[in-house]
Amino acid sequence: MAILEVRDLASGYGEVQILWGATLSMEKGQLTSLVGANGAGKTTLLKTVMGVVKPREGSVWFDGRNVSSLSAHKKAEIGLVLVPEGRQLFTDMTIEENLEMGAAPKRAKSKFNANLERVYVMFPRLKERRLQRAGTLSGGEQQMLAVARGLMSDPIVLMVDEMSLGLAPVLVLELFKILRQLKDEGLTLLLVEQNVQMALAVSDYAYVLSHGKVDLHGHSKDLVHDDHVRSAYLGM
Amino acid sequence: MDFFAFLIDGLLIGFVYGIAAMGLTLIWGVMNVINLSHGAIITLGMFGVYLAFAELGLHPYLGIVLVGMAGLLTGMVIYAVAIHRVINAPHLSTLLATFAVNMIIIGIGTAYFTTNARNVDFSLGSVKAGPVNIQVTRLVAAAFSVAVTGSLYFFLYRTKYGKYIRAVSNNREAAELMGIPSAFILALSFGLGTMLAGIAGGMIATFFPFTILSGGTYEVKSFVIGVLGGIGNPLGALIGGILLGIFEGVMPYFTETSWVPVFEFGLFVAILLFRPQGLLGAKK
Repeated sequence: MAILEVRDLASGYGEVQILWGATLSMEKGQLTSLVGANGAGKTTLLKTVMGVVKPREGSVWFDGRNVSSLSAHKKAEIGLVLVPEGRQLFTDMTIEENLEMGAAPKRAKSKFNANLERVYVMFPRLKERRLQRAGTLSGGEQQMLAVARGLMSDPIVLMVDEMSLGLAPVLVLELFKILRQLKDEGLTLLLVEQNVQMALAVSDYAYVLSHGKVDLHGHSKDLVHDDHVRSAYLGM
Repeated sequence: MDFFAFLIDGLLIGFVYGIAAMGLTLIWGVMNVINLSHGAIITLGMFGVYLAFAELGLHPYLGIVLVGMAGLLTGMVIYAVAIHRVINAPHLSTLLATFAVNMIIIGIGTAYFTTNARNVDFSLGSVKAGPVNIQVTRLVAAAFSVAVTGSLYFFLYRTKYGKYIRAVSNNREAAELMGIPSAFILALSFGLGTMLAGIAGGMIATFFPFTILSGGTYEVKSFVIGVLGGIGNPLGALIGGILLGIFEGVMPYFTETSWVPVFEFGLFVAILLFRPQGLLGAKK
């Protein structure tokens, strides 16, 4: 059974409609990627799934339950967590405080110490700087902190928006490796990426979003060989 | 009266100004709302202590504690009823909403209490420190203000909900995404700001007589202090309050009392022109 299902989702901002009936479904333990051109509606889709942007039509189902009307903090509470685009850290707070804020959901509190230990092993640099203000970190370290903060809420489904944006390739590779490792540990992940090549290489299944609708979907290893995907997104 | 007496008097009242300003700047810093009901809430604090003292026969300091608790709840209710619906609207809407709350409080207050002056008739005498006499009520208020500031820091930096307030203040959407109930945290912040305003009003009521319209003066002082001390920085508000208190205290030594506001607001405009981030610098 699908852990996260998005049915005919439509939404937008004010007069502007961005999503025009997007449908996708994710199996438990899978790493799914959502790719598409700039402005295709990827970030809006994630924000609508979280409830930051209200859906106009369609529904979001989590673990067999219709969660379309839940506010964002309640979604985090049930285990649906977004690492937002542009990191959105609490820049005036320390690294450790940021991680503490990630553990706000009740379900994450009892596992706080274990999860903190886990993310510090995953990102040793964060541990070294744990009392430093988040705003003083480099871009790569900030992205690590954003992912770590998301993991602190003990997610069942973790959605990561544009993780690779503006980062050095070596860092991107390191972060993708960590996502892969998380997947192997049983976490369900949805990755939104402009770096289509990387996204298809790392994911099991992929959706291509175009003009607010799912244009194409399939196993990532098949999509890599799809002529349309190759010409439109991989520049081949 | 000699210069030192003026100085000490101003200094001690300055602590209380600081608490009033902390209430205004906390709300401003967390949710970007300029609370135009601040003065009316200070007045409610004054009348709260007056009623506890004159009607219920309670000690004024117990009255201040009760006013603080009632202020927290009142602030949360005001947020839920009047502010939350316009929290994401342009500044004009929140200005109008808080101004409406101000008018409602003053309107009902005037109908009920009239604009006659009241007075919490209570004194702890004075102590002699060298050449000057210091009123004990002012010493108590200054000590209480320091304790309130310390507690606020403890709350914001060491407790779960305090940290949530800082997170929401820093990035509201991210806080919501991390599972922090941001609407409740905003209400709590407004409640805290209201609590501080009420406590400040209660302390002022133990020094001076007041009417239902007295809060406005302290609201304006709070703006001046906010600019002096920077926004979103409780210690800055306390220091700004002390500076303003000293300034007000010593100015009458050099000039007529009626000129004091001219210099006070001249200073305000000068700081806005030449150092808009505040004398002590804002948090960010």
